[in-house]
Amino acid sequence: MSSPQFSIGTKLNRQKGSTRVCSDCISKSSTSSLHPYTNTTRRNYAVATTAIKTTNGNAFDVKVRSAPPVTGTLEPSHYTTKAGILLSRPPLLTRNLDPFEKAFFFYQKRLNERLAIPFTRYFYFKKDTPADADWKLKARERNWAAARDLGGYQAYGKEGWNDEVLVGDRTAEPGFAIKKLIEDSMVRAVEGKDGQAVEVKPGEVAEGQEEVVKPKDRKTKSDKKNRREKLDRKLDRTLYLVVKRKGNGRGWELPCGELVGRENLHQAAERILVQSAGLNMNTWIVGHVPIGHHIQKPHYNPDSSLLRQGSKTFFMKGRIMAGQADLTANQFGLTDFNWLTREEIEEEFHPKLYKSVHNMLAER
Amino acid sequence: MALQHTSLHHLLTPLLSSFRNVPLASTAFKMATTTAKRSFSSTPSLSRREKGPQKDQRIQLIRYHMQHPRTPRPLKLSRMRALRHWTIHRAWMLARRKRAENEENELQRMYQSMHSAMEELRNLDLPGKKDSGRLYRIALEKKGIFGHGGVPIEYARAQTDTPAKEPWNHGWTR
Repeated sequence: MSSPQFSIGTKLNRQKGSTRVCSDCISKSSTSSLHPYTNTTRRNYAVATTAIKTTNGNAFDVKVRSAPPVTGTLEPSHYTTKAGILLSRPPLLTRNLDPFEKAFFFYQKRLNERLAIPFTRYFYFKKDTPADADWKLKARERNWAAARDLGGYQAYGKEGWNDEVLVGDRTAEPGFAIKKLIEDSMVRAVEGKDGQAVEVKPGEVAEGQEEVVKPKDRKTKSDKKNRREKLDRKLDRTLYLVVKRKGNGRGWELPCGELVGRENLHQAAERILVQSAGLNMNTWIVGHVPIGHHIQKPHYNPDSSLLRQGSKTFFMKGRIMAGQADLTANQFGLTDFNWLTREEIEEEFHPKLYKSVHNMLAER
Repeated sequence: MALQHTSLHHLLTPLLSSFRNVPLASTAFKMATTTAKRSFSSTPSLSRREKGPQKDQRIQLIRYHMQHPRTPRPLKLSRMRALRHWTIHRAWMLARRKRAENEENELQRMYQSMHSAMEELRNLDLPGKKDSGRLYRIALEKKGIFGHGGVPIEYARAQTDTPAKEPWNHGWTR
């Protein structure tokens, strides 16, 4: 991965043709571009009503927004442009199944038992071998069914019609299936004297027993302790980096900063990320297109002069693949960081900021 | 036809007529030495089948397994059982559609967010100024995004059902 270009003060090389204009824009001229339906000149930018000057004197649709009034180039702009970054850790686990799905999959597995050819032991196990004895031992305990995770359901027996479990049955839980599979992987019959199959005693471990790796719990330690700065929390959800700035009344925000020099948005986003959260994160900014924006209106004096500039922040999408944020050397006065899910962001963010941000966030 | 056949028999060449007398159990080398007892072709596989050693039981086993007497037939469900099945099927279809619609809506929201951000970016500067719309145009460039080194390989981490021993490497350094 290339290191981010954030050397401030150096002129970026202006490559020839880097500021290109598409052919549509070149061919368009304000007099010839007429709206197809109303036959009036179409303006796509905001203008103040007093500043309208037309060539043909027609009245036409004008969008007067609460955008800044038309000013000359000398007066400072009422809005600064900022780049922000929505750094996300995608989910590392598959989604949680809801109870209906779990029950449905279990129902389908049992139906499949009814529609598949019954298991023929002689085909897979030779008579009087330890493997055969082992299989018989285990099958006896599950009603001679071949399937290990269906609760001893026999599709070709007398109770073949009884394939539905009752309400509250825990057999449908995936945890139950995993438990049964692990139990089944323990070898219970080995070759003894004269090649005869000998049962392994309950406490002992058989000779040829391979190590059974038990799957880890989907909820990690960070989940149990609710460590919000850790990235191995809530592994089935997307986590987003939020930071807290110094100053009273400042809540949680997404990392952002002003554009410096002739930076473009994704270069600014990379620089801001490194300056806020340190270098030791394996990140990637996804493309050059911003995924959302947040506008803070400027503040005006009673005499309509500018008191404080507003800002337009454009958020870039970033992904983190490894590492952790580190605020020790940050240049934005950040005091704390967290990795939050969508719901937690809704709780923590200012309502206006959340309104701008929530469409960028993934459901899961 | 049989009479015709027998009357033509003496017209067959001696070579052809000698084939009728070849015993089934004759081996290849016998055929090679004697002119009277010769096989139709010299390729062993195409020559007349011999008894050979005992057949492999595994083939028989596979055949029996495939022709299982309890081959399943279409299910016959009672009225109430069939109704429950129909209900479950309808519920599943509904749940699936709901999930698909939610995904669709999520993508739509994300797209709308991008679109409005781009609109805002486009209208940042006033049209007459030098270099207005620069950020917008640069945002739309697609140079090298799919080329060599465009997408990092670590981005392709697949989702699993259960986490790894170390789900996240917090100590990664550049």
